[in-house]
Amino acid sequence: MNRAVGVAKMQLINKWTFLGIPAVIIAGSFLLSAVIWALIPDSVGVKYSGAGQAVMWYFFGLGIQSLTLSFPFSQGLSVSRRNFFLGTVGLFTVLAAAISAFYVILGFVEQATNGWGLQGRMFAISWVADRFWFSQWFFYFVLMMFLFLLGFWAATVYKRWQATGVLVMSLSAAVLLVGAVALITLQGWWPAVGAWIITLTPLSIGALAFAFVLVLGFAAFTTLRRATP
Amino acid sequence: MSTPVVQVQDLCRNYRDVLALDHVSLSLEQDKIYGLLGRNVAGKTTLMSIMTAQGFASSGSVRVFGEAPYENEKVLSRICFIRESQKYPDDFKPMHAFRAAAIFYKNWDNELALRLAKDFQLPMKRRIKKLSRGQLSAVGVIIGLASRAELTFFDEPYLGLDAVARQLFYDRLLADYAEFPRTIVLSSHLIDEVANLLEHIIIIDQGRIIVDDDAENIRGQAVNVAGTATRVDAFTAGRTILHREQLGALQSVTLDGALSAAERREAHELGLEIGPVSLQQFVIRKTLDVGLSPDDLEQDAQGSDSKTRTGVAR
Repeated sequence: MNRAVGVAKMQLINKWTFLGIPAVIIAGSFLLSAVIWALIPDSVGVKYSGAGQAVMWYFFGLGIQSLTLSFPFSQGLSVSRRNFFLGTVGLFTVLAAAISAFYVILGFVEQATNGWGLQGRMFAISWVADRFWFSQWFFYFVLMMFLFLLGFWAATVYKRWQATGVLVMSLSAAVLLVGAVALITLQGWWPAVGAWIITLTPLSIGALAFAFVLVLGFAAFTTLRRATP
Repeated sequence: MSTPVVQVQDLCRNYRDVLALDHVSLSLEQDKIYGLLGRNVAGKTTLMSIMTAQGFASSGSVRVFGEAPYENEKVLSRICFIRESQKYPDDFKPMHAFRAAAIFYKNWDNELALRLAKDFQLPMKRRIKKLSRGQLSAVGVIIGLASRAELTFFDEPYLGLDAVARQLFYDRLLADYAEFPRTIVLSSHLIDEVANLLEHIIIIDQGRIIVDDDAENIRGQAVNVAGTATRVDAFTAGRTILHREQLGALQSVTLDGALSAAERREAHELGLEIGPVSLQQFVIRKTLDVGLSPDDLEQDAQGSDSKTRTGVAR
């Protein structure tokens, strides 16, 4: 049997981590939003809820968890680092694809039922929901992958270089960001940047984030290759 | 002779300025029980980590089943190494850990695992992080035994286990080994307790291999001579002394090397008592007194004999 699939199975031995908790978060945040929608008078018009992103933040934590908790154990069972990475990230890819599809479907239902009869908006975010279904799906999918891999990589960096490593990593990210802002300001590029942002669509943002996802995945794998349990 | 299961050549590992492994070379043969003995920071776990590709060497080479083990599933799938401080997923219960092991070891014997869990009175449905130290050790021992991996490492497997559970482990290990021979490495600092299990002994101290020999050979390699100080001195003159302790006019000396029949007779005629040296004593003497010159030993024996006495009470 392929041992990468074995790793995915191992991550699923306790169903809660990968399946149960995300389900509870989605259901819970939806029900709470529904209660709040019901409390608000309909005269205000469409009632937006940001609760749809709750589960995505859980994926950031899940990225950290699936490394810190399972990696040392998989090493004890003599699983190669490559197969641990493929199995774990592969499992998450499947999960993210499924949840994204679920979001798209719920978004259509939401629009068809006048926001669950309550004028609520949780899954069909206006800017995303009026696109072709694939763009919607791709947007959610890439966002989830991005957060998961960010957590996964940060945890790998911690595993190899402890707090110092994470500190250096986040500081360098901050320096890069501030440097970019400074460069744009000094060069007077803000109008151009603004014009560019307006042209962005969920698909183009998704494509951009996807490039980031690939970089993150590559970085996480390279870091993991030399990590010790 | 078949090719060795493990071949380690000139292995070094440094952590910053500490040399954890210092030019280690050794080989492990198929279907033998090895004892990897030494003090707590001698380098046992580091060595095992590198042999199983969980850790990295600074220099030198390791070959397992004839190949480099790093990222090599063909080799790794035949190895099991649950470390003494093994971490388990936070929400795992022993039954989850066993189910995971069953995924990766093709020879996994679930019945054996369940039977052992019962023997060790392991609560299968309690979270592993809530288990006692002994129960945690039991989880590792069960995975090690039931995985039936061709190369299995036990890293201080008895920590926290009571005397009954430890005996149980030794018995089960021998029984299962008899039925399914494989190469087993038992790292330990509780030496006498495992001495009878071991076929080959490797002693490591400060990152260096100081003994690598069959258990049989080692048992005859040192001898204790006791009697009145003057006679003992006369008898042992010119021989390598591993250890000397003095109690009033009486002296007991541990000699390196076996005695010939003639020497035994001579000792007998001098009224000296000759006794065997336990493996534990041998390891202690080898690791503690190694490098001390005879003068140091003299001073040690005379100056602080009360301390030495308690240290080596047998």
